[in-house]
Amino acid sequence: MTRPVLLSALLLAGIAATAAGNCAWAQANGGGRALAPGVKVEVAPAPGSGSAPAAGKVDETALRYYARIGDGERLEAEIARLRALDPGWEPPKDLFAPQPTTPGVDETPFWNLLSAAKVAEARAAIAEQRRKSPSWQPSDKLLQELDTAESAGRIRSASDTKRWQEVVDAAAAHPEAVACNRLDNAWRLAEAYAELKQADRAFDTYRTIVSTCPKAKERRDTIFKASRYLSPDQLRELTALGATANPAKGEDYSTVRTAEAELETGRLLERLGNAKPGALTAADLSRIQGIVRDKQDADGAIALGWYFQKQKNFAEAQSWFSQANGWAPSDKAAEGLVLAYNGLGEKAQARAAASPWKGKSSRIDQALKAVDPPRGSGGGRSGPQGPSELDRALARHDFAECLSIIRSSIAKSGPTAGLLQQRGWCLLEMKRPSEAEAAFAEAQAMAAREPAKGGQSGGGNGAAGTTRTPAASGLPQKATPAQENAYGQAVARLATGDTVGLTRDLPRANMTPAQKAEIRASLMATEANRALEDKRYNDVLRLLDARKELTPEPRNLGILRGWALYNLMRFDEAYAQFKSVDDRLSTEESREGVSITWKTIYHDW
Amino acid sequence: MPETSISCTPHSGMARTGWQRTALSAVLAAATLLTSGCAGWVRDNLTQAPTPWRRVQPTALPVTLPDSRDFPIVAARMRDTGAVYKSYIVVLGNPTVLPGENRLSIDVQTLPDSLFGALVQPPRVFPVPLYTMETLLATTKREFPGMTVKVADAARRNRYGDYDYVTTQDAENSCVLAWQLISDHKRMLPERIEAVRLEYRACGIGSNVRALLAPFDGLSLTLPETVLEAQDLGAM
Repeated sequence: MTRPVLLSALLLAGIAATAAGNCAWAQANGGGRALAPGVKVEVAPAPGSGSAPAAGKVDETALRYYARIGDGERLEAEIARLRALDPGWEPPKDLFAPQPTTPGVDETPFWNLLSAAKVAEARAAIAEQRRKSPSWQPSDKLLQELDTAESAGRIRSASDTKRWQEVVDAAAAHPEAVACNRLDNAWRLAEAYAELKQADRAFDTYRTIVSTCPKAKERRDTIFKASRYLSPDQLRELTALGATANPAKGEDYSTVRTAEAELETGRLLERLGNAKPGALTAADLSRIQGIVRDKQDADGAIALGWYFQKQKNFAEAQSWFSQANGWAPSDKAAEGLVLAYNGLGEKAQARAAASPWKGKSSRIDQALKAVDPPRGSGGGRSGPQGPSELDRALARHDFAECLSIIRSSIAKSGPTAGLLQQRGWCLLEMKRPSEAEAAFAEAQAMAAREPAKGGQSGGGNGAAGTTRTPAASGLPQKATPAQENAYGQAVARLATGDTVGLTRDLPRANMTPAQKAEIRASLMATEANRALEDKRYNDVLRLLDARKELTPEPRNLGILRGWALYNLMRFDEAYAQFKSVDDRLSTEESREGVSITWKTIYHDW
Repeated sequence: MPETSISCTPHSGMARTGWQRTALSAVLAAATLLTSGCAGWVRDNLTQAPTPWRRVQPTALPVTLPDSRDFPIVAARMRDTGAVYKSYIVVLGNPTVLPGENRLSIDVQTLPDSLFGALVQPPRVFPVPLYTMETLLATTKREFPGMTVKVADAARRNRYGDYDYVTTQDAENSCVLAWQLISDHKRMLPERIEAVRLEYRACGIGSNVRALLAPFDGLSLTLPETVLEAQDLGAM
C-alpha cells in the first residue's frame, strides 16, 4: 500500500538532495551515548532536561517567532530549552507584545518557510537576502534550525528508502534531528538499528525516548512502535520505564502502562488464531477470556470461538460465537455459530442462526453446506445419521481433509455437480484459485448435464449439484446451482487477480443480484487498492464511494480512504476518517493513520 | 468570416514580432501547463506500473513444458511492466491436498528500444540476487506453511544452465521450489533480451523430488528469438 509518508518523503527527499553538502552539522551535545566506535548518537533529551550550559546571552529569535505565530507548544519547549541553557534566564515580559523590527533584516519570512518545511527555499531566500545585504548575518538559531531540518529530512529520506545505515549516520551527524520534538525521526533511527540487526541499540533508542520525552501519548506510541522489534521482556521494561521515568507535570502515564496489556492482548489473540489445540496455557486462555469479556470485543470472541471449535469443544465455541453475535452481529460470528451448533448436532439452531444472513453472505451459505451438505459422498441420506465425514471436515475448517474426502468419493462413485462445487470452495480456501475456477466450471458443466438425465440417477443426489434442500427450507431468493457455480468462478477469478476480465464478464454473468453486487463491491475494492498504488487518489475515493453504495465499508478500506484523503492533502478529513476507524477498534494501522495525520496537521514531526 | 487586422506577411516587421511573441507566449503557456499538471496530465507516469494480470492461452506462453499427467496446465496469465518486462504465470495442477498453487513464473526483461525507454525504466520486477537466505526462508514459509525446508546443497542443471532449489516433505507429499536467472546475454540470450527469470513451485504426492523437478528440467523457452541452450554452448 502507498505509505503515508509519500508526500513528506518526496518533499524531503528533494530537500535532502538540495541541501546535501552545504550543511554545517551541529555537533552532538553532551550526554550522547557511544553507539559505535567513534560514533555518538543520541535522542536529544526533552527540552528542559538537558544539562549543557551555554555561555553568553541566549538567542531568543525562535522564542519570539513561536510567540508571534502563537505556537504555544513549541514556545513552551523553547522556554524550557533556554532555561536549561541558562538557569538564570527568564522569558522576556514583552514576549507577546508587538516587536519593533530588529535592526537589519526581519527573519520572519525565513522562519515561515522553515515552519512550512521548505528548507531549501529558506536557504535560497537567505542567500538572496545576503546578496542584497552583505553585512547581514542570519541568527544562529535560524541556521541551527535549518541544519536540523535538513538532517531530519535526510533521515526520513534514507528511512523511506530503507537505507538504514544512512539513517544511523545522519542521526549521528546531527543528534538534534532525533530529538523528542522530532519523535518520528527518533522512531526511524530505532527502526534502522533494528533493521540492521543491532537490537541492543534499537532498544537503547526506544528506552531513551520513553524515559526522556515527556508526553504520555508519545511514550505510549513509542511502545507500540517498538513492539514490532522488541521481545516481550524488553517491552515490559520499556513500559515500566515509560510509566515512571522523568514524569512531567500534568501528564497521565497510566495510558503508557496499559499499552503493554493491549499489546499482550493482541499477541494472545494472534496466538489464539494460529494455535494448535492445547497450545495456549490455561492461564493465557483465562486471561484472554477476561479481557475479551471486559472489552466486549466481538473479534476476540470470534477468535476464541474458533480456538474451541478447532478443539471440537463445540459447546464452548457456540457460547463465544453467540457472545460475539450479541455484541456485534456479523456474518463472521453467525458463521461460527452455525458451525458450532452443527458440531453439537443442533441443526435447527444452526439454520436459525444462519437465517438473518442466508442468501446475503457467501460465508453463511458456505457454512450451511455443513448443515445440509452436498450429497453423493457415498450412499444414502446422511441427515439422520448426524454429520457426515465431509461435514465434520468443513466444520473443523479442515479443507485439506475436504479435498481428500471429495477425491476418494469421486474415485469411488464418480463426480457430481455438488461435489465438484464443494471441491471448488475447498480449493479456494487452500489458496488454489485457478484450480477452484476449473472445479466450478466443471460443476457447471455437470449441473447442466444432470437434469438431462431426468433425475433418474438418485434425484436427491445433488439435485443438479445443489447442496441444500430448498423447497423444504423455503429459502427466498436462493441461487440456482448454475448461479452458485458462476459465483464461485467469479470469486476464484478475483483471487487470481483477473479483475479486468471479470469486470468485462460480470454484466453477462448468471448470478443473483446479491451475488453480482458482492462481486462488484470486491472488484471496486481491488481497483481502489490499485488506484492507491498508482497514486490516483481521487479515483480511490470515487471507487470507495461507489462501493459504499453497495455494501458497508470494512475497516481496511476505511484506512485506505484515510490515506487517499491524506495524499490529497485533505488532512482534516483524513484525520477524521482515521479517528473514526480508530475509535471503533484501535489497531496499529489506525493508530499510525491518526498519529501521522495529526503530526502533519500540527507540524509536529 | 471577416479578416482580422493582424497580418502575418513576412514583410511586416511589427507583425512578425507580434507573431513571434504570440508563439512564444503559447509555447510558454503550454510548457507551464504541461509541467504544472494542469493540461490533463496525471501526476505520475503510470506507464511504468504493472498492468493487471490477463489470461492467455497456453499456446501464447513463451515456454513449452513436457506433458505431465500430474502437472497439467490449469491456467495461464501475463502482464506487462512498462515496455521492458513481460511476466507470465503458468498454473499447474496440484495432485496433493496441500495449500498453494503449483506454478511456473517467467519474467522476461527486454532491452528498451528507444532513448526514452532507456531513460524511463520501471523498477526491476525481480530482485538480483533472486534470493537471500532471509527472503528464501520467508518465501518458503509462505509457500509451504508448517513444512521443514531443506536447501539443496548442489545446483541442478536444465537446458538453460544451473539452477538452485529447495525441497520439503511431509508424510505423504513433497514439494520443490526452484529458481533460475538466465542472464548470459552475450552467449545465450538474444540481443534484445537482457534476462529471463524462472521460478517453479510444485508439490506432489510421494517423495520423488526428481519427478517433481522433471517439468522444470524439461522446459523449453519459446521466445520470438532463440535462446541458446547450455548444450549448444558446450561446457558452460
